[in-house]
Amino acid sequence: MKKITIDPVTRIEGHAKITIDLDCDGKVEDAKLHVTQYRGFEKFCEGRMYTEMPALTARTCGICPVSHVIASTKAIDEILSITPPQAGINIRKIINLAQLLQSHTLNFFHLSSPDFVYGFDAPKEDRNIFKMMQTHPQMAKDGINLRAFGQKIIEELAGKRIHPTGIVAGGVEHKMELSQKENILSQIPDMLKIAQGALEFFKTNLHKFQKEIASFASFPSIFMALTNDEGMLEHYDGYLRFIDSEGNILKDKIDPQDYKDYIGEAVEDESYLKSPYYKPLGYEKGMYRVGALARLNIASKCGTPLADEELKNFKALNNAKPVLNSFYYHYARLIEMIYAIEKIEELLNDDETMSEDVKTTAKISKSRGVGCSEAPRGTLFHDYEVTKDGVITAVNLIIATGNNNLAMNAGVKQTAQMFVNGNNITDGALNRVEAVIRCFDPCLSCSTHALGIVSSKIEVRDHNKNIIKVIDRN
Amino acid sequence: MRVIIGYGNSLRGEDAFGLDVIKELQRLSLKDTKLISAHQLTPEMTLELLDANEIIFIDTCYDEKNNYSLACSLAQQNSLNLGHHIAPKTIIQMLNTLYDNHPDFFIYSMMSSSFDEIMDLNKYRECVDVVSKHLKCS
Repeated sequence: MKKITIDPVTRIEGHAKITIDLDCDGKVEDAKLHVTQYRGFEKFCEGRMYTEMPALTARTCGICPVSHVIASTKAIDEILSITPPQAGINIRKIINLAQLLQSHTLNFFHLSSPDFVYGFDAPKEDRNIFKMMQTHPQMAKDGINLRAFGQKIIEELAGKRIHPTGIVAGGVEHKMELSQKENILSQIPDMLKIAQGALEFFKTNLHKFQKEIASFASFPSIFMALTNDEGMLEHYDGYLRFIDSEGNILKDKIDPQDYKDYIGEAVEDESYLKSPYYKPLGYEKGMYRVGALARLNIASKCGTPLADEELKNFKALNNAKPVLNSFYYHYARLIEMIYAIEKIEELLNDDETMSEDVKTTAKISKSRGVGCSEAPRGTLFHDYEVTKDGVITAVNLIIATGNNNLAMNAGVKQTAQMFVNGNNITDGALNRVEAVIRCFDPCLSCSTHALGIVSSKIEVRDHNKNIIKVIDRN
Repeated sequence: MRVIIGYGNSLRGEDAFGLDVIKELQRLSLKDTKLISAHQLTPEMTLELLDANEIIFIDTCYDEKNNYSLACSLAQQNSLNLGHHIAPKTIIQMLNTLYDNHPDFFIYSMMSSSFDEIMDLNKYRECVDVVSKHLKCS
């Protein structure tokens, strides 16, 4: 048996490698994603004061710190038994959507677009943002502008673009100023135009990727996401819902405080990434997917006009049943970008948002609190236990990307079996194996909680587990 | 206008070098100079650099053998392995290619192998002072 190693996996956040095991005939027998970072946030947060948790856990990541701050402050809200004022909730929601927008923008415009523009078989020297800048400068500029819009909102409302400090237990630190509201609103039309243009570009080019659509982690699975009371798209609060691949609701209206009753967490030897699963079906049958694809499969509606129009087209892809092809994560993210811009506008125009009452304070009243929200990559849980003096005694984090671990592994295997031929290993085939991971837009720094820089590869191993080819992107 | 960008992680020992140089420069009220502190370099930062005719990047560079030595070179590769942050040369290339903007640019890097804590505070502060004074006078 031969083994191929792709190390590092490129154009993702964090460090990982992929191993592909070949049988005697050179056919793919197995393939696995290995996340090679270890961070240990859950352990070193023990013994800290609960008030430090938002700032500490924000350091998990430089791309989606807002998600961690939101989940963390929500867990603390629960421990304090407080509900933030509506203005505080609205401003938190705007910041959360701004982060979703800048994160999705980075994935589409800067990480994934080279594959869509040049194709998966293009020379690797061309599959990058530098070539995009030369051949599609407006697209590259659009990505910069849209990301700047999201990042600026975070900076304005939460203090800093990375590791913001303005979201606090009980709400937010500062009220919304009229000048801030007007400045953001004035940019909405241009930003919507960019997001709609990107979606149009993607839909127009979809016909080129039929093989990839059919084979990039395309299989039945459970999906999980938050929904609001009416079963609509929700990123900040609400209830957990699980559906199966036919669209049947397996479990609905789950209070996130009870997540442990439904989600088990397995650990595998070859990766630092936990493997959560839907408990009633057990490990590994309980494999589920989260993130934009899951959210749109689960939600009955988005709740904003333009996004709802696009959601109809999206749901038509599989005759109103859940879309099972992970390639369509890109599609779902683009719809969510439109939704985020529309929703930010709606929240800004809500009179409550401008209230000066943005924060509630209280003392500890519970020994445990769970904060749950939808991060760009999926459902995020922060679960804290504290003493009566507020010292953290236990932390459990289920990070958005981790929820997708079993599905990413299944996807890597499926794609490798479709495209990799051990007797003629092409760069295009290995790029596709990486690209299936990019569909999920994983944030591995987050999901493993990294000490230092760890290289990440594709390794191809023969039937004796000897490495016969290594692709090292460094 | 001159733009000076200090970047790094203030929680990772000597990686905070660029940020500490910016703090020092903030006290000097330099004329026609914009100072930026950043955790990492990101694509949208190019929009803040469109008026710059000179850009100076200050960071820490991993080197096991030459701790606390200073270098003015593009030590970092213009990596194709793009993730969620980018290298100085990528920012410059974005300015050149997308905005037909061609500022002069320099990098001041302090070599370090300690990203857990500041190993020698005197030598670290000396590096901060040397770079700050040089930028004040240049």
